[in-house]
Amino acid sequence: MCQWCDKYAEGYSRWYFNPANYARKLYKIRKDEGPEIQPNPIAPGGMALEDRDFIEALDRKDHEVISKRRHEIEQLAWQVHFGQVVTLEDTLKVIDFIYPIALMTCACRRSMLGLSDEENFTCMGMGPGMYKWERWPNNYRGGLQFLTSDEAKDAVIRMNKRGLVQTLFTFGTPYLGGICNCDYPDCSAIRTTIDHGVQFLWKGHHVARIDNDLCNGCASCVHRCQFKALSFSASQNKAYIDQFQCFGCGLCATECPQEAISMVERASLPGLANVW
Amino acid sequence: MLPTITVDDKKCQDPLNCAKCLLICPTHVLGLGTRVGPRKYKEIDKDQFIVAGVRFEKCSGCMDCVNTCPNKAIQVSFQGRSEK
Repeated sequence: MCQWCDKYAEGYSRWYFNPANYARKLYKIRKDEGPEIQPNPIAPGGMALEDRDFIEALDRKDHEVISKRRHEIEQLAWQVHFGQVVTLEDTLKVIDFIYPIALMTCACRRSMLGLSDEENFTCMGMGPGMYKWERWPNNYRGGLQFLTSDEAKDAVIRMNKRGLVQTLFTFGTPYLGGICNCDYPDCSAIRTTIDHGVQFLWKGHHVARIDNDLCNGCASCVHRCQFKALSFSASQNKAYIDQFQCFGCGLCATECPQEAISMVERASLPGLANVW
Repeated sequence: MLPTITVDDKKCQDPLNCAKCLLICPTHVLGLGTRVGPRKYKEIDKDQFIVAGVRFEKCSGCMDCVNTCPNKAIQVSFQGRSEK
């Protein structure tokens, strides 16, 4: 079982369907949070917890240092800020009950591509935190565009069509405050998860499954996968999905013209039920 | 979780020509082996071919192989290996 559902679903079928997990307090008394973290220009976005020492340990395959640092980084990230992949269908269900919701700029693409704010409205914020962005624009840059529920759904569907993966992110776990629309290689969470094996991004509750009788080998799904799970079998002339690498976003399934790819519940497959 | 995949070779008579399980497995877990091992440059009697769960770490437990086998020769169990 998904450990976040275990802790935070409170009777709902998934933790991100529990409205309480979107109700973070708008204000809090700031405690003394210790020494201020020095800005690190080579570690933008979600990679900020990874330092040069960790990357060097990866490079020289120092498994002892890697596993120790990986554990520390993950424990901190899971308390503060991490994400889980969701299907388009689940994202639309979430949009049905959250308020307010706003388009905002993507911090990852800002740092990796230098996109201007105008061309970078691919992130969505939700819940009371959005009023802070509106109230203190100097602290939270990029600006906001508040959306109605229908506008938010249209925006998510549009970004899914473009090939962006829907993910939900916590801001102070278990409070979910962002619907990100991510892609490799510019999403820091996907990069750290796939490239460094540090689990900023959890796999979702679904797994893609190809029906080989329906797959005609057109390969239009192949470019959709952001997680290196989908390849093409030259010998079978069909798409191939590594289900242990699949994050369950459903992008391949929404693209397939033959409807040969279906999303099955992770929990229904004993070999995958605990693969997150 | 890792499965235990067992194939009843008595029931699986002609895997070389059947191969339904090999083709339906979404993660290509099952493989075709022989009882006599690899034999370079020698014809292997087709009775010697057997199906086995070679790459079982990629088994999701979908049970498609179990259901597609015309002779019900395949069993996939996720019970764990405690009973010894």
